Amino acid sequence: MDYTWDLSVIVRFFPVLLEGAALTIELTCIAVAMGILIGTFVGIGRVSKHKGISALSAIYVNFIRGTPMLVQLYLVYFGLPAYFGPIPPLVAAIITLSVNSGAYVAEIVRAGIQSIDRGQLEAARSLGMTYPQTMRYVLIPQTFKRIVPPLGNEFIALLKDSSIVSVIALEELVRKGSMIAGRTFRSFEIWTAVAFLYLFMTLPIARLVNYAERRLKQND
Amino acid sequence: MIKVKDLQKSFGSLAVLKGITTEIREGEVVCVIGPSGSGKSTFLRCLNLLEIPDGGQIYFDSEEITDFQNVDINRIRAEMGMVFQRFNLFPHKNVVENICLAPLKVRKCSRAEAEAKAYDLLQKVGLEDKALAFPDKLSGGQQQRVAIARALAMEPKVMLFDEPTSALDPEMIKEVLDVIKELAKDGMTMVVVSHEMGFAREVADRVLFMDDGIIVEENTPDHIFSHPQNERTKLFLSKIL
Repeated sequence: MDYTWDLSVIVRFFPVLLEGAALTIELTCIAVAMGILIGTFVGIGRVSKHKGISALSAIYVNFIRGTPMLVQLYLVYFGLPAYFGPIPPLVAAIITLSVNSGAYVAEIVRAGIQSIDRGQLEAARSLGMTYPQTMRYVLIPQTFKRIVPPLGNEFIALLKDSSIVSVIALEELVRKGSMIAGRTFRSFEIWTAVAFLYLFMTLPIARLVNYAERRLKQND
Repeated sequence: MIKVKDLQKSFGSLAVLKGITTEIREGEVVCVIGPSGSGKSTFLRCLNLLEIPDGGQIYFDSEEITDFQNVDINRIRAEMGMVFQRFNLFPHKNVVENICLAPLKVRKCSRAEAEAKAYDLLQKVGLEDKALAFPDKLSGGQQQRVAIARALAMEPKVMLFDEPTSALDPEMIKEVLDVIKELAKDGMTMVVVSHEMGFAREVADRVLFMDDGIIVEENTPDHIFSHPQNERTKLFLSKIL
């Protein structure tokens, strides 16, 4: 077998791939931001003494973690229109990625809160602080440092997993790649380029997380 | 000031408190001694409801605080300072912020007022130069003195000490006990769970000896330490004195 590489394909379609990468980043950033918002509340709900709240939070987390993201995407994109009418692919993608990320962030937040020494809660409560005050001023601030590394991992995972929305014709990086590969029959070149573009996005995030982790350690 | 009637507490099938009845009077310093596992700490932690009793009543200033439906636990706790064996300072806040947090959030003091108070208290415990330090830069003895200042900042009516010197290196025990003695002199009502018999003897108005979930004997330190009546008290004291 002898295959001649044609790198000109990559050069020619590079701007198109970059467009896809831009959408990938956009989707990931929105989803992670929403995920952190959802996950913080659900994570706090998970450790709530209120049985209903902790049960609801657990159901949400377990449903998301226990089902494929592809199925979740189909549920939103093809299922929800039964009630809400057609949903644009971009909206369906953002909803799916955000709700998915929210569940994983919730677990990160829950683990972060539960890793704080129980004496902290007791000290705050013994001073007459309410449970919400204790959460807000004592426990949550201490979890920040501990959840930065796993949050970084979640960001990277979501950036890669966002490729799944290519199946509903959203032209992010993978979709762009398969369109070009289909047109040029230069699969090897294109998918190599796509792989490297993902690496160019994920490696800096990993570096950034390491850096943040080191900075936070210094302040300990 | 605090009345305890037939207080009971179990953890699972393990009965830790089997009916405690006693009274803490205003201005009194009560030391609780006894072997480990005797229920001393659990008894103390029931007083501010960090542990929820399974039976019996606790009255604080003649209000029944074990009437959970009608009592705001947070209001009661704000009146009772507690100092823990392992200090439990807030590691993300410096010393002044540790002391000011509850006055700011619970008492709704102004920042100026809370900080002025914090510096007063730091002077009292001899740590005004550590005001801006973070807890992990302090020795154990210093951390415990800050913890005492933090509890005092709420101007509690009673202070509960849960083995305040047990986690300290020997050379730091004195500095913490000295602060507690100062408080006793100022007339603070205190309940101290402690293994420091010398301290109990010197400072306590009354000593409770607990064993196996009950108060076996209670009396003035002189009586307890010099003329213990109960066999279990004698046995315990013979082991540690």
